[in-house]
Amino acid sequence: MRRLIENRFGLLALVLIASGALFGVAFVSRPAPVAQVRPQAVRAPVESVTAVCPAPAGSRVSVITPPGAGGPGSATLSAIAAPDAKGTDAKDSGGKDPGEKDAVIDRPGLLWQREIASGGGPLMVDATGSMAAGLESAQTARETSGAQRGLAGVRCVEPGADTWFIGPGPAAAEMTLYLANPDSAPADITFMVYSGEGPVLSERGNGAVVKPGGHRVIRLRDLAPSPLIMALRVSTRSGRVAAAVKAVLGEGRGADWLPVAAAPATRVVVPGIPGTAGKRELYVAAPGERDTVVRIKAVLEDGSYALKNKETIEVPAGSTASLDLSTGIGGQPAALVLESDVPIVAGLKITGTGARQDVAFTAGADSIDLGSVVADAQATGGKQVSRLVLSAPFAPATVEVRLLPAKGEAPAPVEVKLAAAHTQEIRLTPRGSKDAFSVVVRPLPGSGQVYGGRVLDEATKDGQLVTAQPLAVGRIWALVPPAVDAPGVVLP
Amino acid sequence: MHSVTAIVVAHDGARWLKETLAALPRQTRPLDRVVGVDNGSRDGSAKLLTEAFGSHNVLTMPRSTGFGEAVHEVLRRLPPAPGQEWVWLLHDDCAPDANALQALLWAAEQDPKAAILGPKLRDWLDRRVLLEMGVTVSRSGRRDTGLEPREYDQGQHDEIADVLSVSTAGMLIRRDVWDELSGLDTGLPLFRDDLDLCWRARAAGHRVLNVSDAVAWHAEASARRRRRIATSEEHPRRLDRRNGLFVLMANLPFGAFARSVVRNVFGSALRALLFLLAKQPANALDELAALGSVLGHPWRLLRARKARRNGRKQSWPAIRRKLTPPGAALRRLADMVQGFLAGTGPVDSAGRHHAAADTGEEDGDELLTDSGGVQRLLSSPGVVLCLILAAITLAAERTLLPDGLLGGGALVPVTGGAADLWRLYVEDHHAAGLGSGTWAPPYVAVLAGLSALALGKTWLVVGVLLLACVPLAGLSAYAATKRMIPYTPARVWLAATYALLPVTTGVVSGGRLGTAIVIVLLPVYAALAIRVMAGSSRAAWGFGLLLAVGTAFVPLVYVLVAILGGLAAVSFGGIRRGVRRSLAIGLGTPVVLLFPWLVQIAQEPGRILLESGLHDPRLSDPRLAAESLLMLSPGGPGVPPVWATAGLVAVALAALLLRRHQMVVAIGWGVMLFGLLVAIVVSRITVHVGGVIGEAAGGAVPVWPGVPLAFAATGLLVAAAHPAHRITEFRAARGLRRLGAMLIVVVAFATPLAAAGLWVARGADGPLRHDVTDPVPLLAAVESAPGEGTLLLRSRGGEVGYTLLPGRGPLIGESDLEPPGETRTRFGAAVAGLASGRGGEYARTLASFGVRFVSVPAPVDPALQRALDSEPALARRSLSEAGGLWRMSGQVKVPPPAAPASALHRGWLWAQGALLVLVLVLASPGARTTEPDGDFADASAEEGTRGRRRARDDKSRNDRGRDGKGRNDKGREETVPA
Repeated sequence: MRRLIENRFGLLALVLIASGALFGVAFVSRPAPVAQVRPQAVRAPVESVTAVCPAPAGSRVSVITPPGAGGPGSATLSAIAAPDAKGTDAKDSGGKDPGEKDAVIDRPGLLWQREIASGGGPLMVDATGSMAAGLESAQTARETSGAQRGLAGVRCVEPGADTWFIGPGPAAAEMTLYLANPDSAPADITFMVYSGEGPVLSERGNGAVVKPGGHRVIRLRDLAPSPLIMALRVSTRSGRVAAAVKAVLGEGRGADWLPVAAAPATRVVVPGIPGTAGKRELYVAAPGERDTVVRIKAVLEDGSYALKNKETIEVPAGSTASLDLSTGIGGQPAALVLESDVPIVAGLKITGTGARQDVAFTAGADSIDLGSVVADAQATGGKQVSRLVLSAPFAPATVEVRLLPAKGEAPAPVEVKLAAAHTQEIRLTPRGSKDAFSVVVRPLPGSGQVYGGRVLDEATKDGQLVTAQPLAVGRIWALVPPAVDAPGVVLP
Repeated sequence: MHSVTAIVVAHDGARWLKETLAALPRQTRPLDRVVGVDNGSRDGSAKLLTEAFGSHNVLTMPRSTGFGEAVHEVLRRLPPAPGQEWVWLLHDDCAPDANALQALLWAAEQDPKAAILGPKLRDWLDRRVLLEMGVTVSRSGRRDTGLEPREYDQGQHDEIADVLSVSTAGMLIRRDVWDELSGLDTGLPLFRDDLDLCWRARAAGHRVLNVSDAVAWHAEASARRRRRIATSEEHPRRLDRRNGLFVLMANLPFGAFARSVVRNVFGSALRALLFLLAKQPANALDELAALGSVLGHPWRLLRARKARRNGRKQSWPAIRRKLTPPGAALRRLADMVQGFLAGTGPVDSAGRHHAAADTGEEDGDELLTDSGGVQRLLSSPGVVLCLILAAITLAAERTLLPDGLLGGGALVPVTGGAADLWRLYVEDHHAAGLGSGTWAPPYVAVLAGLSALALGKTWLVVGVLLLACVPLAGLSAYAATKRMIPYTPARVWLAATYALLPVTTGVVSGGRLGTAIVIVLLPVYAALAIRVMAGSSRAAWGFGLLLAVGTAFVPLVYVLVAILGGLAAVSFGGIRRGVRRSLAIGLGTPVVLLFPWLVQIAQEPGRILLESGLHDPRLSDPRLAAESLLMLSPGGPGVPPVWATAGLVAVALAALLLRRHQMVVAIGWGVMLFGLLVAIVVSRITVHVGGVIGEAAGGAVPVWPGVPLAFAATGLLVAAAHPAHRITEFRAARGLRRLGAMLIVVVAFATPLAAAGLWVARGADGPLRHDVTDPVPLLAAVESAPGEGTLLLRSRGGEVGYTLLPGRGPLIGESDLEPPGETRTRFGAAVAGLASGRGGEYARTLASFGVRFVSVPAPVDPALQRALDSEPALARRSLSEAGGLWRMSGQVKVPPPAAPASALHRGWLWAQGALLVLVLVLASPGARTTEPDGDFADASAEEGTRGRRRARDDKSRNDRGRDGKGRNDKGREETVPA
C-alpha cells in the first residue's frame, strides 16, 4: 500500500479507479426516460348557467335539463325588463308585465315548454345546482304568413365576450341584432362587419354599451347598409353580452335566426345539413389579414368527397364569400369540412322548397365531445318532421341518443354507430306520441369527433317551412383542470 | 555657578544600566555629584551602581519603592550644594549623549525662568527614531507627543521649545523648584507624575523647556514590556488612564474642569463602545473603571485641586495653548476607524511611545491596498482578469440587456426594495398571497441588508450578484488563492477557469441567485478554511458567518462543508491546537444563526437539496449523463458541451504524476471525488415540492447538482494549480520536458478559453430574462384597493397554475411562504372551479379571499379565456396579445389584517440580531497579535504565583489587543510588591 502511494503512478491509478467507479455508478443509476403523464382534467357538472332567449315573444320556449346531476337546483325564467331603449334603433322593450311571474323549474329531465305571449323583451334563464348541468333552452316560432312566414328557431345563448355570425347581409335581408346583458357589469360592445368587399367601417360608430340588465335591438342596415353577404363579429371590450341575429329575407322568401358560428379556426365543420331538397349556399369569411383559398369537403351518407368543381373557394382577406352548393349536397344529409391556412368562419343557408320559400341557417360548430342537448326537438302538432343529422368526419364514433319527453316515461336510449367520414340522418319520432321532447346526444367513450345538427321541417301547401340548429356543446360537464399554487406563474 | 547632581534610579535594569552608567562620566560637562538608587533589583543592578559610584553613593530602597519616592529619599538625605543646584533625573534605561548635560545647562542659562529641562529622547535600539520632544496632554487626558509613529529625527523639530512637560527620563530640574513644588507627587506612584510636576512648575511661573541639542536614548523598558511593570493591583492601563484623568482634572481651573468632566464622561463611554467593537472588552472596562475611580473619589480630587490652587487660573491661558488642540481628538478617532477598517486594530499612534511594530503583510490582497491609484490597480493581474471576465460577461449577456424586470428560471421578477424585503423578514404574519404565518427564510434578511447597502435597490444587488457572477467569482477565486498558490499565472488560470465553469454559466442562465452567491463565496470558504485549520478563531467566526450566508441560500453547502470539516477534524484535529475549537465555531455559527429555519428545513429533508427561489423542473436535467457529471457539467440551461472542461480534468490528472506536492494534489482530488459522489447522488434524486406546474407530474423537481460540482471543481482546480509553478522548471529544461510543459499550458488554458468562447457565441440564453413585465398589470395595480389582490392564472400542460399577488409583484422569498393547508385547499378548489367555467360560487369564494382582478398573461389559453368570460361575476377589462385581465364585480372582501404579533418570533429576531452583531464583532478585524513571545524571559524567576498569573493575564490581554492604550505609560520602571 505504502509503495503504491509512493509510486509516481500509484496516485494516478487510484484516482482513475475511483473516477471510473463513480462513472459506473452514475451510468448505472441514470434513470430511464419517463413518459410524461399529462394531468387529466376532472369532469364535473356545471353548477350554474345563464342563457338569454333573444326575442321569445310569440314563440314557444323550451327549457330542459338532462337528468343525472343530484342535489337541489332550480332554473328561473325572468324577463330582462330594464328598458334600455334609446333612439329609433330600439324596439319597445315593454318592461316586465306585472302579471307575468318568473317561472321556476326544479325538475331535471322533464321538458318545460310554454308559448310566450307577444310583446316583451328577452327572457333570461338562470339555473343553478342540479338544474344547471346541461340546461338548454330554445325558442321556436312558426308563422304561416307575412314576411316572417316560416319556422324560426334559435338556441338561447349564454352571454359571452366574442360572438360570430355569418349569413346574408343587410342588403339582402332585414337583419336585426338583439343584444342583452344579464350581468351586473355594463357591456361595452364593438361590432365588426366583414362584407363581400371587405371589412365595413361604419360611419355611425361601431360600438354600443348595454347597461347591466338591459337589452338593445339594432338594425344592421344602419351599421352597414350595403353588404349582400356578411360575417358579423360582436365582441366586448368589457363585460359580456348575449347576442342573436334574425334574418328576414322578405315576403315569400323566408326568415330565421342565424346560429352562433364557431370562432375563426383553420378547420371548420359546418354540420347539420338536412337531406331535404332545396338550395344550399355556403358562406365563408376570412377575418384575418391574408387572402385564402378554402378547401371544401362534404361528408355525406356514403362517405366524404371533395365536391366536383367546388373543391375550393377563394376568400379575400377581411371579407366574406359565398358559394352555391345545391348541386353538390342538395337532397343529401351532409356536413362540410372546410380547411384553410388562415382562420375562417363559415355558415350555410338552407332554403326550403315550394312556392313560398323558407330559409334556415347552420354554421360552423364545435364537436360535441361532452355531449349535446337540444331543447326543442319536436314541434307539437302539424306535419312537422324533426331530424338529427350526425357526422363523424374524421374517426368512427358511437353516439347515444336519448329523448326526454315533457310528459311520461323517457324511451330507452338508442345507440347510433357512425362510420368515419360518414353522415347519418335520424328521424326523431317517438312512437305513438305527439308530446314535445328534447334530445340528448352523447358520444360514447372512444368515439371520434362528432358534429351534428337538428332540423325541423314542415310541409305546407305553399311551401316547406324549415329551421335548423347545429348541435352545440352541452353545458352538462365542465373540465376542471388540476389547479396548482405555483409562484412560478409570474414568469413566462 | 551651577552644580549638578545626577540621580540614577535602577530596578532590574542591568541590561541597560551599564551603558547608562558609562554615559555619565563621558559628559562634556562633568557631574558634580552622582547618586544611585537601587529599588531592590534582583539582577545585579545594585552591584553595577556600586561599581560605578562607590558604595557610599548608592542607596538601596525596598522593592516596592516608586521612582518619585526614591528621588525624594535621595534629596532628603542629600545636603544642598552651593550655588544654583540642578538635579538630573535618569532612568536606568536612559543613556544621555555626551554633551546632553552641557546643552541642557546652556539652555538653562539662556532662560533664567527655565526650571525644568528635558532632552530629546530617541529610541534605544533604532537610534534615529524620535520618541519624545516634550509631551502634552489632550483635554481628555490623553498623552500626546505630537510625533508621528516611527518618525525619524532629521532635525525637523530642533529648537529649544517651550513645552507643557518633559519626561522624567533625563529631566534636569532646579533643586529649589523641586523643593518649592515638593517634587513628584507620591500619590501618583506611576504614570503622569512628570506631567503633574511640570504643570505645577508652569503654574508657579516657571518654564519647562525641551532642548533638542541634548539627546538621550531611552529604552522605554517598561512601556515595551521588556520589564515587568506592576505597581498596584490594578492593570497599568487602567492606572495610566486614571492618572491621566486625575492629573488633568486636578490642574484645570474650575470652568475647564467642569467641561472636562462632561467631556470625559461622554468620551469614555464612546471609547468604551469602540473598544467593545474592537473586541477589547478589557480595555473598555479599564476605560470606564478609570473614569469611575477618578469621579468616585471626589474628596481625593478636591484635596489635590486644593493643593494646586495657587497660580492655576493665572497660568491657564498659557497652558491651554500647549494642550493638544481639540480637533486632534477627531483626527485620532478617524485614524482609529481607519485602522480598524484596515485590519490593524485601533492604533493609537499619538499616545504610543513607540511606533507600531511591523505587522508584516496584511491579510488583504494587494487588490485591497489601492493606495497606489488606478495605475497600480490596473497592473494587478487580478483586476485585469476581472475586467476581461467582465467584458466576456457583457458580450455573453448581450441578450440580457435591461428592458424590464430581471427574472426567469429560479428568480422571481425582482421588484420591491430593501424596506419591502426587511418588512417581509420581520413581519409575524404575511398578508401577501393567501396569508401565512411562516417565518420568512433568512436569505431574505441577507438580501435586505445588501439592498440597504445599495441604497435600497434590490434589483441592483440581484443584478450584480447574478449577472456579474462570473467576474465576481473570478475575483474571489483570485484573491482567495493568494496563500494557496504562490505562482501568479496559475492563480490567473485558476480564477478564470473557476469563473467560467459550466456551473457558473448555468447559474446565470437559470437565474439561480443562491448558487451564484455560493460560487462567489466558495473560494473565500477555502481560504478561510485554511486559516481555520491553522486554529485561527477570528477566521473561524468569519467562516461561520459566511457559511451561514451560503447556507441560507443553498442548504446543501452546509452539509458538504460539514462533512469535509468532519474529515479534516479527524485528520488534523490532533496535529494543531485549537483546530477543533475553530471548526466547532465555524460549523456551529450557521446552526445558531439560522436555527429555527434549519429546523423547518430538517423537517422536510428534500428541501436541503433545493435552493432559494422558484423550483422549476425545466431548470435541471432529470437524466443527467454520467460523462456530464464527470466533466463537472450540472445540466440544465446555459451549460456548455461536455468536452469544454476536458482540459481541466486532463491537467489535474497530469498533476498527479508530479512527485512533489502530492499532499495538496491528493487533497484536491479527494475533494473532487467527494463532490462528484455527492453530485451523482443528488442528481438522481427528485424532490417533491408544491408549486410546480406542467412538465412533471406531482410537482417533482430533479435536484440540480451545481453546488457539489462547484466543490468538486474547486478541489480539481487547486490540485491542478498548486504544483503549476513547476511548469517554469520544465520550460527551462530542454527537449521532451519542454514540449510537455507547453502542451500542459495549452491544454490548461483551453478550458477557460473554450468556455468563454462558447458562452459568448451562444449568449447567455436561458430562462433568465431581463424583459419580464410586472406580473401585476398596471391597470390592476392602479385599481386595486389596499388589501385587494390579483389572481394570476397560467395554463400549462393541462394544469392551471395560479398565484395570488397583493397588488404588486412577488418579492424574493415570498414563494417560500406556506399558507395554511386548509386555506390553500379551499382557494385551489375555487381556482380550479373558476378555470373550468362551470359557474357556481367559485368566483364569490375567490372574492372572499380578496381577489379583485384575474390576470392571464400571454399566451392566453382559449379554454381558460372562455371559462373566465363565462363567469358572470368577472368582467373582462382587456384581452390582447399581452394577456387578459378580468375584474371581479361586486363586493371583494379584504382579508383580515395581520394576526397579533408573535412574541416568540420577535424574541428570536432580536436574538438573531444580537448573535449576528456578536459574530460580526468577533469576525471583524480587530486587534492583532504581533508581540513576540518570550518578552518575559528576563522576568525574575522568584516572582510569586500572583505575578505569574498576572503575567499570563497580561500576555493574554496583550495577545488579544494591542491598542496602544495600555502602552500609554511613560516608560518607567516600577516595582511590584512581591
